[in-house]
Amino acid sequence: MSPEPPSNGGYMIAAYIVAAVIYLGYTVRLWQRTRRAFRD
Amino acid sequence: MTTPIDGARATVRRGRWITLVALAGLAGVYVLALRYTPEEEFQGLAQKIFYLHVPAAWTSLFVFTLVGLASALYLWLHDSRLDLFAESSAEVGVAFSAIMLTTGPIWAKPIWGTWWTWDARLTLTLFLFFLYVGYLALRAAVSDPSERARFSAVVAILGMLLVPFIHLSVYFFRTLHPRPVVLKPSAPSLPPVMLRTLLVSFGVCLLLYVGLVTMRYGLGLADRIREAREANDVA
Repeated sequence: MSPEPPSNGGYMIAAYIVAAVIYLGYTVRLWQRTRRAFRD
Repeated sequence: MTTPIDGARATVRRGRWITLVALAGLAGVYVLALRYTPEEEFQGLAQKIFYLHVPAAWTSLFVFTLVGLASALYLWLHDSRLDLFAESSAEVGVAFSAIMLTTGPIWAKPIWGTWWTWDARLTLTLFLFFLYVGYLALRAAVSDPSERARFSAVVAILGMLLVPFIHLSVYFFRTLHPRPVVLKPSAPSLPPVMLRTLLVSFGVCLLLYVGLVTMRYGLGLADRIREAREANDVA
């Protein structure tokens, strides 16, 4: 009989949230910089 | 008539579209990894961090290699487009590197029992991250464009030399970090369904890199056009 997998889903959720925040945060920041550059 | 600033604007617009497609792909990767890829029996759900951590790591190391190659070519050809490409890629590479360095410890804690260990692989990777943050700081600090390009090219080439050491460090040194399961001489030691999710995620990361670097390149072009105009006005 194989053992039960450990219950560590919280770490998975944290990592997926952190990655999404960095990806989206950088994209939004770069988007704003380009908007400002062409408005001036 | 198309002006240089129109060209820069078109480049940014192209980058935005590619980025939007890549972000939709990233949402697809989340669904694929969380919903349609099985849970690993020994590591549990934390193993799914693999589908974010490894593609971000591969992309950042690939990007830093490109930055080094573009910088070496710049020193040879003195083409300012290579310098701008290196600058744009380095910034995007730092973002991917940040994802590698944050998701890694979150995965390590439940599996290794510690957030961080000062072994060769992790220490060299952190050093590479700081080196490219320093590269960007150096670029911001030097005002002469020619000096800025030359100094930063040297730093980028030194950073590129670290990449093969980072990949091979798990063979050279005793480390908690696992050896490669895909990028190795023998066949990948990963079930096909997990390999599929990993490769899809890597493809999306590469597309996101292309989109972001195109946007950043267009922004750099606009900045340089403005700098040239201001220099002409002063003259």
